[in-house]
Amino acid sequence: MLKLVTAILKPHKFDDVKEALKKDGITGLTVTEVKGFGRQGGKTETFRGSEYTVELLPKIKLELIVDEAQVAKAIETITAAGQTGKIGDGKIWVLGVDELVRIRTSETGVEAI
Amino acid sequence: MIKRFIGGMKERDSRRYFFTYLGGKMIGTMAVLALMLGLAWYVGGRAGAQEVETPLTAAADLINPVNTLWVLVAAFLVFFMQAGFMMLEAGFARTRETVNVLMECIVDTAMCGILFWAVGFAFMFGEGNGWIGHQFFFLSDAPATYGTTGVAFLAFWVFQFAFADTASTIVSGAMVGRTSFKGDLIYSVGVSAIIYPIVGHWIWGPGGWLATMDTPFRDFAGSTVVHTVGGVLALTGAIALGPRIGRKFKRDGGGFMVGHDMTIAAVGGIILWFGWYGFNPGSTLSAMDFEGVGRVAANTTLAACAGALVGIAFMYIRTKKWDPGITINGFLAGLVAITAPCYWVSPLGAIIIGGVAAIICVLAIDVIEWFRVDDPIGAVAVHGVCGIFGTIAVGLFATGDFGIPGATGADLSTGTVTGLFYGGGTDQLVSQLIGSAVVTGIVLVAGLAMMYAIHGTKQLRVPADIELEGIDIHEHGGSAYHPEFAFTGTGVPATSGASKEA
Repeated sequence: MLKLVTAILKPHKFDDVKEALKKDGITGLTVTEVKGFGRQGGKTETFRGSEYTVELLPKIKLELIVDEAQVAKAIETITAAGQTGKIGDGKIWVLGVDELVRIRTSETGVEAI
Repeated sequence: MIKRFIGGMKERDSRRYFFTYLGGKMIGTMAVLALMLGLAWYVGGRAGAQEVETPLTAAADLINPVNTLWVLVAAFLVFFMQAGFMMLEAGFARTRETVNVLMECIVDTAMCGILFWAVGFAFMFGEGNGWIGHQFFFLSDAPATYGTTGVAFLAFWVFQFAFADTASTIVSGAMVGRTSFKGDLIYSVGVSAIIYPIVGHWIWGPGGWLATMDTPFRDFAGSTVVHTVGGVLALTGAIALGPRIGRKFKRDGGGFMVGHDMTIAAVGGIILWFGWYGFNPGSTLSAMDFEGVGRVAANTTLAACAGALVGIAFMYIRTKKWDPGITINGFLAGLVAITAPCYWVSPLGAIIIGGVAAIICVLAIDVIEWFRVDDPIGAVAVHGVCGIFGTIAVGLFATGDFGIPGATGADLSTGTVTGLFYGGGTDQLVSQLIGSAVVTGIVLVAGLAMMYAIHGTKQLRVPADIELEGIDIHEHGGSAYHPEFAFTGTGVPATSGASKEA
């Protein structure tokens, strides 16, 4: 069974998390620059002197597909490397993957990771 | 149409209307012609009566206005280098500190103007002793023209302000990404009001001790005065600050932190090159020395071209890539190096100086990297090290054909400048080495003292969390790019109170 692990991270923590995952033997991941809010919301910014409450803060969304057996390890690694202990460190969630195909070879399942 | 016209002419009324109309037109035209002839006759007669009087303005009266205009045009070009610096530094910086880079350049410029009005110009260009000037504080008691230049005093001030501003901006280049805005304001006062003008006085001020040595120290447009001073101060700032968080140096298996916008950096570099056409040719302070202006402009161009080509070739041999960052730094290195010798060398000399400067620049970047000093845009290598090389190059490449520019043309009365390679012996070279070494040493010590003093009060560097999340958001209230993405949608003005609960 394959799992999709998605993590929302502080942008400056991404490099640490990526290096830690590579050490664990992760062979690939996908990254998106995103904006969003959680409990950290309510930061005040200014634009031309007017104050704005910014609810969207820049984050990095990281996605990787792993075998079920590796999920716990991946979560542990991301948590350890991505943590600052301050509000806004982000979240991790895991979904099941119905199908995985490598386009180049048509391999499927665990082979395609 | 013609058919309709012919048809119309067959009718009597239309025919009458046509000829009346034509007749009226002709009378009108004749009247205008007569008026023109009459006026010409009248004015011609009066002008003829004045033929023997002397013209109101003699050619000699135009020398100072023309020279002043040339200096002002050059000053405006040098000022535009600020745009180049902003873009170059912003492009080589990371997204999160872009607003900070832009703001530092703008506010440095504004502060430098006020400081150079108050004290900077007085320290640098006022009469005094060999070490410091003390005349023209707040531009008081200003004469109509400055010294023997014949250039309007305030035009000369604008030109020199633009130079001081350049030096001040160079300093911020090596300190990008971790300097607090307050810290930047504090050290900028030290640079613009104290260190730059005092050192400048030794070389360009009346009676400056380096300018009055037996063989005067020569720095035509400021390889030492502007670039070495700026570059060395940048080095002291980078040393006092320490590297950005997460910066891994080459000897530790890392490399440069990549910049965020190569387009902006490249265009900024070219704008600097353009501005240099004011920086170097304008330093003649005289359009009457037109051959000198032309020579300086050509030498400036050739050194930049050689620097770009040698820089790109040197990097291609190393990495098999046509590296944009080093190409830009290569021509900037050539420009910095030709700044001191541009008036006294031949075009071939300029090409050699520019090419060698590019190699020196690349090697200097390696050395600075080896010492684990984090210089995000290469300001220390380009301005500091190549400034020193350019200054020494006067003592090697000066052809011995040229003296100094004067208000009415090239001035050979104080002798010519000859370098070692053109049979001038080592006199000029020794003067150049003394001047460059003294300025580098003193500025290094003064800069370290100033930067560490500011650092000691915890004002120089931002706290770690601000640096990681970005100076822009914390110190300037928002990011440079797409702020509306964060503001609109769910983001509404805080004063409306609508989003407080979020």
